[in-house]
Amino acid sequence: MSIKEIKPACDVCVRCATCMSICPVSRVTGRFPGPKQAGPGAERFRNPGESSVDNWIELCLGCRLCETVCSSGVPVSELNLLARAKYLDEQGRPFRDWLLTHSHRLNGLGSLLAPLVNPLLTSRPVKWFLDRFLRIDGRMNLPPYESVSFRRWFRSRPGNSSGEITVGYFYGCYINVHEVDVGRATVEVLEACGRKVILPPQDCCGIPLLGHGDLAGAARLGNYNLRSFGELISRGEDIIFASPSCGLMIRHEYDRILALPGAREAAGHIFDIFEYLSLNEDCRAALSRGLSPLDKKAAYFVPCHLKALNIGLPAFELLSLIPGLKLDLLEADCCGLAGAFGFKKEKYDISQAIGRDLTRAAERINPDIIVSECEGCRMQIRSLTGLEVRHPVEVLRDALGSRP
Amino acid sequence: MRFDVIVIGLGLSGLMAAKTASEAGRRVLIVGKGIGSLGILSNTVDILGRASRDSLKEDVLAWIGDNPRHPYALAGWQGIEEALRSFVSLFPPPYDFSAPGGRNSLIPTGAGTRHPAYLVPATMLGGIDADWGKTLIVGFEGFKDFFAEYVAHHLKARGITIPLPRADQGGITATAIARLMEEPGFTGELAYGIKKRWAGEEAVGLPALLGVRSPAQVLRELESETKLKVFEIPILPPSIPGMRVFNRFKGHLLARGVRLLQGQAVVSVLREGRRIKGVTVYHAPLSRTFTCEACILATGRFLGGGLLADEEGIREPVFDLPLKKPSSRGGWFNKRFFSTSVHPLHFAGVMVNEKFQPVDGEGKPVFENLRAAGTIMACHSSIEETSREGIEIASGYAAARRACEL
Amino acid sequence: MKLQTEVLVIGGGATGAGIARDLALRGIPVVLVEKGDYASGASGRNQGLLHSGGRYVVNDPESARECIRENAILRRIAPHCLEETGGLFVSLPEDGLEFQKRFLEGCLAAGIPARNLSAAEAREIEPELNPSLLGAVAVPDGAVDPFALVMENIRDACARGAKCLSHTEACELLTKDGWVKGARARGLIDKEDYTISASFVVNATGAWANRLLGPAGLSIPMAMSKGSMLITNRRISHRIINRLRPPGDGDIVVPNDTVSILGTTSIRSEDPDHSEATTREVSFLIRELARLLPVIKETRITRAYAGIRPLLQTGADHGDRSLSRGFALIDHGQRDRLENLVSIVGGKLITYRLMAEKVVDHISEKLGLAGSATTHLIPLPGAQGRHGLKERLKGLAAAAGAAGEILCECELVTREEIEGVLKGERLPDIQDILHRTRLAKGTCQGGFCVYRLLGVLHRLNLAPDDSNEILKGFLEERWKGTWPVLWGAALREGELIESIYKGLFQLSGEGRV
Repeated sequence: MSIKEIKPACDVCVRCATCMSICPVSRVTGRFPGPKQAGPGAERFRNPGESSVDNWIELCLGCRLCETVCSSGVPVSELNLLARAKYLDEQGRPFRDWLLTHSHRLNGLGSLLAPLVNPLLTSRPVKWFLDRFLRIDGRMNLPPYESVSFRRWFRSRPGNSSGEITVGYFYGCYINVHEVDVGRATVEVLEACGRKVILPPQDCCGIPLLGHGDLAGAARLGNYNLRSFGELISRGEDIIFASPSCGLMIRHEYDRILALPGAREAAGHIFDIFEYLSLNEDCRAALSRGLSPLDKKAAYFVPCHLKALNIGLPAFELLSLIPGLKLDLLEADCCGLAGAFGFKKEKYDISQAIGRDLTRAAERINPDIIVSECEGCRMQIRSLTGLEVRHPVEVLRDALGSRP
Repeated sequence: MRFDVIVIGLGLSGLMAAKTASEAGRRVLIVGKGIGSLGILSNTVDILGRASRDSLKEDVLAWIGDNPRHPYALAGWQGIEEALRSFVSLFPPPYDFSAPGGRNSLIPTGAGTRHPAYLVPATMLGGIDADWGKTLIVGFEGFKDFFAEYVAHHLKARGITIPLPRADQGGITATAIARLMEEPGFTGELAYGIKKRWAGEEAVGLPALLGVRSPAQVLRELESETKLKVFEIPILPPSIPGMRVFNRFKGHLLARGVRLLQGQAVVSVLREGRRIKGVTVYHAPLSRTFTCEACILATGRFLGGGLLADEEGIREPVFDLPLKKPSSRGGWFNKRFFSTSVHPLHFAGVMVNEKFQPVDGEGKPVFENLRAAGTIMACHSSIEETSREGIEIASGYAAARRACEL
Repeated sequence: MKLQTEVLVIGGGATGAGIARDLALRGIPVVLVEKGDYASGASGRNQGLLHSGGRYVVNDPESARECIRENAILRRIAPHCLEETGGLFVSLPEDGLEFQKRFLEGCLAAGIPARNLSAAEAREIEPELNPSLLGAVAVPDGAVDPFALVMENIRDACARGAKCLSHTEACELLTKDGWVKGARARGLIDKEDYTISASFVVNATGAWANRLLGPAGLSIPMAMSKGSMLITNRRISHRIINRLRPPGDGDIVVPNDTVSILGTTSIRSEDPDHSEATTREVSFLIRELARLLPVIKETRITRAYAGIRPLLQTGADHGDRSLSRGFALIDHGQRDRLENLVSIVGGKLITYRLMAEKVVDHISEKLGLAGSATTHLIPLPGAQGRHGLKERLKGLAAAAGAAGEILCECELVTREEIEGVLKGERLPDIQDILHRTRLAKGTCQGGFCVYRLLGVLHRLNLAPDDSNEILKGFLEERWKGTWPVLWGAALREGELIESIYKGLFQLSGEGRV
């Protein structure tokens, strides 16, 4: 998007500061001036012909919460993203950031060599090296690889996916190698609702690259994915995602920020798993028939990008139907991880400070288990609370009694 | 997706309407572009600031007599009372709302003036009738939206500015302070800082930042640690007390299964003759349509986006409802800001009948199943009347009751 | 209080300030009195255009030559008060290209560097230009911060021995036997009465010239022309954008710091104390200037204001645009038999220094003093650095880290900066502080930060007793500029501001129980 189109956005802001009351970053540090100031405020000072000086722009998480509270409709996150892209294009990106945004390129290798790689990831010398030389904070644990990837599991599983209605599943890089059970649960729940699940060819959705201001890189990945989805969509089939960040990227940012051809058409065929289940009468009926009791106390945490998707809380609504499951909303705005953000040494403290509020909210509920759709949130909440943290689709699958 | 009632607008009137409809057993969707003006401007529940008698009821009845088109006249005193009871029921102690003496109280503000409020949250009660000569007003270094010396000067109290424990160097925002207040052990450090500068005062006034989640507990801790009476003073936006109200409503509605969509506006409506069939929400590049039996418009005035103004005139963007309005832009405002008369534009808005249905110039309902609530309504000037929350609560409640045909 | 000096300058606009500095540089004792703050008349209420002279090349070549000479001098002596943006004169289809030829010839004759650009080249450097433009001519126009320019002249004059009194009104000229002897003046805030004896008096009161001369039975044939301007919320062009046609109404857009200033109108006016823009003028300016830059239609306007041009009437009246923008030095000795009194009228901001030089040359000659002007050679203080937008944005990062509260978030004015201004001089009026910083000049027009400014004054124990009355006064003054442009986002902001001050703070009168 050209500067010309985005500039008028700073006219819309009325300086009411509502965004300041939701921003997870500016409430824990004075180093980030907050959405109002970083977005529409700073925009009045920027000259596209001059080099960027707003180094704090890197502290924006890209959570998009500011946009969900603004009654003026200021596209703050978009302003910040574009400003960050310009800043990083000029300043250059460290190798560390390349690595963190291209981890999907290493997934095949990681999965193949899982028994070898996983101990290394947690070994002290490796962590020291990553911390010292790459500034990946040594207090963070990189997620271990699973030796059988989701894609391999899907291909090799006995009993093919059947059903009259076919849906494509966009599982995302993380689920494929780090949390395969979420993928399995998604497939199993969809199949329990009579859907035939297929896996269209797919690459990373591109949101990590977008978050690091690499618009061209993100667009390349987006174009690949959209071409692949095109085939399903032309047959009238829908695509399901279970990770809200991937979903937000594909459904909204491919068009809104990257203006990719075909993105607009695809958006109407892309659904969050729980949104899809609650929109389709037959799925709701199939689920309500098959739910068996789960005697657990669970806290549901709403990921930022689910809020940005603005589809309500279909997972919370559906899980509430499970008999015996005591479900509370976890009163916290953001987990603080924000993808790669929380791994960066210079941002670790901010990330953890945001996370502490979530920890305290969890302590007030004292649940057996925390559920949340976002893999980043799950990773962070596990490390913050030490509790079992799962995707709601896994809980739903368990209630359907089809746990493998 | 299908709902019984769709409420458009996430301000106090919309939240009240959604609460009322949901408690009447309806399946409710509430949708709004942002979170409205609760978190900007609301601190207390103001009903009628200029009230001069002993009981609010008499004042409101007299007001209704003088202003037969005012939203209060349409809601009726009984309706107002019921609505306030419904609001109050959402805030059990310790952070409860009350009306001492059943009439307006004067609350000190961030300009050292006094604001007439009816329902006052527990954390602000101490500021009513304080003995200012024995009161210490405390502000924080680095916080630019509250100046204790300014406030104290006008209230004839003593004002001091102290460093805020655990704060970064430099500027700090309202939300950051509110967050610190709820960190374990923080109130103790703050109390210590206050006590160091204490000179025998009996009470301490602080900016209204005593936490978002459990302000009454923060207040209690501060009182026990300072051994002084503590109270909050409403300040410039954002309003932390307003956020508390929003959060409470949001939690209540979600727990009741109300579908809440926050972040995108309703851009168009489905109509069939004189009925609204549904609304369309646009979230680029997607449009999503929700159908309904009844619809309540509670989108606020200009600030909330309920009314739009351009160089040529004003309009209501969702239903394009007929509006009461001044003839041309030259006549929108008085030439003086603090004019003795209200700026004419303030009386503009959606005209409704006693069923809260928007009506046209002849008084006929525009749509059978559409209601309007809140400050978007014509014939009031909530700013001068100091009646914002009263209008929002009473009309949100009344519009939903009528939409549910109760 | 009695004061004695060689020259008394009445009026603290650009001309008066320039005269005071020139006198001080030549070592001539001078007292300057100004009834408001410096630059509070036309000097502070204009578009801030550093003319290249291009605007006058066809109709008034002499003014054009003056402009380009002074333009070059100001770039040298006051770089920190200017922004060398460059300017474009744009030809629209309805204007044709005929005028462009005469314009280029005129520029050549006046010595103004001008470069012809194709439509595509012009759009390349100014993307918001009307796509149907025929072409453009680039000239060395620039933007000037008139407040800074005047304040720097005052500051330098004072540093060199001049005595300058703001908020002090000259009430009456003292005369004796056909000679002016000084003036009586009154402090409008401190209520001090002054009797100022001087050998020579300069009337540099601009639009108020006849108000000073009237009681002495004198008058100058002047027309007062009100020019209204609009301020946009953001900067919509990088350069000055002029319309390439004979000068008229609504044909210039000047970038100024974070904003752009759209101008102007010319409407005959009688009262220099009350000049406000009307909704009709607002609509006119938007419509006309959107021809040059269509984006103006969608751009938020934050304020409308007006200034009074005091134009000298020389003869037949062909409308105010045809009256000379040149200046006149009127020696009342020759004209009215009142010796040692001169009035300096007309002119433009950009020629203030030249006007001052001519006045002081005249005084020197009359008083038989030696010396000549050096104002074109000696830079104004502070000329080493200018704080552009980029530096201010950089400051936001610094403020976020170190001790710095940003009081004015729209214009990034820190508490530190305000405290610095307060240390520098005695500023009895809140508007004085606003004139010396960019506080309250941004999106919310002081809706949040003036309250904060009063808070800082309270904290420093510098606040007036009736600070809420001051706040109300500011909001009333602000309203004059905002109500004519309240629609769209500005109206939404207006509702917010009114809710804060009348609702939450109850400044209309506290509620009664």
